[in-house]
Amino acid sequence: MRHFKKSHLLIGVGLVWVALSRIFQGEHTLELATADNTAFTTSVGDVAASIRGNRTKSSAFIYFFNPIRAAINGFVEIIRSIISVPSGNSIIPVIGWFGVVAIVALAVYATSKLRTALLVVSLLMACGALGMWQFTMDTLAMTIASVLLSLLFGIPLGIWAGLSDRVLKILTPFLDLAQILPTLVYLAPLALFFLIGTASATIATMVYSIPIAIRITAHAIRNLNQSPIEAALSMGSTPKQTLTKVQLPMAKQMIILGINQTVMAALSFVVIAALIGAPGLGKPVVDALIIRNVGQGFVAGFAVVFVAILLDRSTSAAAKAQEGFIPMTPHQIRGRRIKRAIAGLAAIAAIFASRSVLSLAVWPGSINIAQQVEDVTNHVTKWVTTNLYIFTVGFKDFISNWVLNPIETLLAFSPWFVTMSAIVLIAAVIGGIRVAMLATGLLALIVLSGLWHEAMITLTQTIVATLLTMSIGIALGIWVGRSVRAERIVRPFLDAGQTLPAFVYLIPMLGLFGPTRFTAIATGIVYSIPVVVKIVSEGIRAVPVAMIEAATVAGSTIRQIITKVQLPAAKKAILLATNQGMIFVLAVVVIGGFVGSGGLGYLVILGGSKPDLQGKGLVAGFAILLLGVTIDRIAQASARRT
Amino acid sequence: MVDGKSSAGEGGSLAHNPPAVSVRGLWKVYGPNPLSIVGSPDAKLSRSELRAKTGCTAAVSDVSFDVAPGEVFVVMGLSGSGKSTLIRCLTRLVEPTAGEIFLDGEDISKATPERLRELRRQHFSMVFQHFGLLPHRKVIDNIAYPLEINGMKKAERHARANEVIELVGLHGYAHAFPEQLSGGMQQRVGLARALAVDPQVLFLDEPFSALDPLIRRDMQQEIIRLHRELGKTMVFITHDLSEAVKVGDRIAIMRDGAVVQIGTPEELVANPLDDYVANFVRDIAKSHVLTLKYLARPAMPGDEIDGPEPSQARMSCA
Repeated sequence: MRHFKKSHLLIGVGLVWVALSRIFQGEHTLELATADNTAFTTSVGDVAASIRGNRTKSSAFIYFFNPIRAAINGFVEIIRSIISVPSGNSIIPVIGWFGVVAIVALAVYATSKLRTALLVVSLLMACGALGMWQFTMDTLAMTIASVLLSLLFGIPLGIWAGLSDRVLKILTPFLDLAQILPTLVYLAPLALFFLIGTASATIATMVYSIPIAIRITAHAIRNLNQSPIEAALSMGSTPKQTLTKVQLPMAKQMIILGINQTVMAALSFVVIAALIGAPGLGKPVVDALIIRNVGQGFVAGFAVVFVAILLDRSTSAAAKAQEGFIPMTPHQIRGRRIKRAIAGLAAIAAIFASRSVLSLAVWPGSINIAQQVEDVTNHVTKWVTTNLYIFTVGFKDFISNWVLNPIETLLAFSPWFVTMSAIVLIAAVIGGIRVAMLATGLLALIVLSGLWHEAMITLTQTIVATLLTMSIGIALGIWVGRSVRAERIVRPFLDAGQTLPAFVYLIPMLGLFGPTRFTAIATGIVYSIPVVVKIVSEGIRAVPVAMIEAATVAGSTIRQIITKVQLPAAKKAILLATNQGMIFVLAVVVIGGFVGSGGLGYLVILGGSKPDLQGKGLVAGFAILLLGVTIDRIAQASARRT
Repeated sequence: MVDGKSSAGEGGSLAHNPPAVSVRGLWKVYGPNPLSIVGSPDAKLSRSELRAKTGCTAAVSDVSFDVAPGEVFVVMGLSGSGKSTLIRCLTRLVEPTAGEIFLDGEDISKATPERLRELRRQHFSMVFQHFGLLPHRKVIDNIAYPLEINGMKKAERHARANEVIELVGLHGYAHAFPEQLSGGMQQRVGLARALAVDPQVLFLDEPFSALDPLIRRDMQQEIIRLHRELGKTMVFITHDLSEAVKVGDRIAIMRDGAVVQIGTPEELVANPLDDYVANFVRDIAKSHVLTLKYLARPAMPGDEIDGPEPSQARMSCA
């Protein structure tokens, strides 16, 4: 009865909204020309300028921000001087390229299989051959530095949150917020306090990756088999003994898995952090995107993908080595010792060689296939866009004309109060009065910021990308959830898709669709489908076998089983997937500001480069945050209410 | 009322020695304001009524009993009867709401955290249904764990662990890991670990419920053997009446958190106090439990001591 009423209410709200939008089309849309500031954005710009001016004077800077910046810069520079930039008086880093390849290969070999080691070597060499050696080393150095710092804070906090309910309760809102926050949002504010450069980039990366380390560590501690812990307590263990002798050893494997995730998150952020001066592969990616050179973007993009695979394989190999508690036989232990000794000696020899032979120290310029790769990709892109025009542009135009434009008209070109009331009413129907009040507050803040119209443009793209993501993702998720074979086929792509930095997806999409709104949407779809498929397929697979057997025995067709048993039973997973999908999509859609998506993301990026629009960029970042929280709260309420 | 029955003094030992474990008016109530339930008229309500009225559940309600030194005292009940909560209250893995627990005359329920740790390390230990072994440690280091946290040197604790390994029949498994062992062998490790500190009292929480029937029988024999050899006081939880009859000197039957009847197996079978107990013991073949000793009354003056003639009968009496 209640459900019936709810859907009718939603349709009613929709109809009134469309009607009002038709009548008042184009009025009170709060449009603001890109170059214009409001009084509010101007004053935010002034505040930002005064903060910047106070860097050498204010004690907050002298005693807090500047020392932190100096310490982090110093730490990152030490790691960079080992593998990337000339150290001290030398013209080469402490370890030349040959030494780096050898160390990485031998370290992987010592913990895992020869095959993984060979893969890792070829990936590193490929980065060198793409002419990206120095950028690759910078990215590695930045990632290593941020991961070490993230783990330094994240693991102890995670353990604490795992042991204490109170700590978890305090941390949870921050962890949630960090998960909703699109990456683009906190770059500018951090740069304001820590200057553009490695320190800001490292801190921003930590903000992004620490929550992951905390969450997984806390989860690892909380989900242990309780019976050994109870036994340890019954024998009179102190809390410290229980932690060090029981809980941590049992949680070790999961915590190492968390390190893998932290590394991947850090990598994807280090690439984006090029926007605030992080050295590394992000820089050539950004450069290529700005001049719209797809081939050049591919060269850098490949290197990013290679580094991602490299880091994922080597850290997950380390996690696998921890599987099970059964130790090796003495014979195996001796074998491993010999293996490690040889690897260690070989690494020392390689480092020595890389310091004494110039061609092993600096990547030889003669080995460079960047130009060829660039030419081939530009060629292929051109061929695709001319010959498959009907598919790329046809699909783009179809979606633009029939989905994107109508929704944009409704959201962004209706009077702001009509759109806002409609969203609040929808929130009320879905989530109840509290969610509606929250939405009212958040949306009112967006209106006050003066960037309502841009926010609605971004919301439109988010909604369209989410709709497409969900229709593809649910279909794929059902397939993967029902068939073991499908899972085996799709799984590697899902895993790869989740480890790649969002930034990289922009490059091929730019090649296919050119600099348009649709490029951002397509990137958002590609980026968020893996997570949606994963959650939906897990939900489908979690439906009890007995339920399906009962339905089959009752004579259901496959279609009936899917629609009447599996989908309803997996409803919670689907709603969760929608929520996650939306958050992922929003994060990418704002990055799409680079390739012509407009909206808030564009303003953020513009604010970074144009001093007189800096305030507007900061406000836009804040508006993205407000939008993200609004979307998340409404989506979560709908998941909770079922 | 329970109290009176239990300390009535079957088995002469109780009358002479102070009890090893003595429980008085023990309560564990979950829910809002649990103390208000203790001893109130509400406590007499059934579980669902109590819950509806106060939102509380009395997992253990007003339990009292004594365990004599060297006795195997079995607490038996169906799932949800509160027996697991009871044994956790005795070891304070769960904090009791009210009541007293005396171990050799010392009230455990009032022990400070430090004293409680000391008691756990030296005076009693516990065996768990799901073994609770540390998966990352070898058998020998699992068994040595309680000695290790007590600060014993490695060589010393391994020597002691090896003794216990022999005692429980784990010879040759010292360097295996728990997941390499069958359930029965894992529980032997659990037993060995509990015995390593040479405790005065052993608490066993459904130690064999997770095992296959055949292995369960072996392990019951094992516990009987160990009890004969070591003479430890044991509090043994089970939901299996035949197990209770087999290992127990006396049995307490629990229902809805309260003790219904305490007695030797013979008494429970011969004189069930109510239908609930009668229902329980109905399937036990009386001939297995009731011995001639129970059926016969003590000799009175003037009784003929000699049996009737055929010489066989005489031989068996002698």
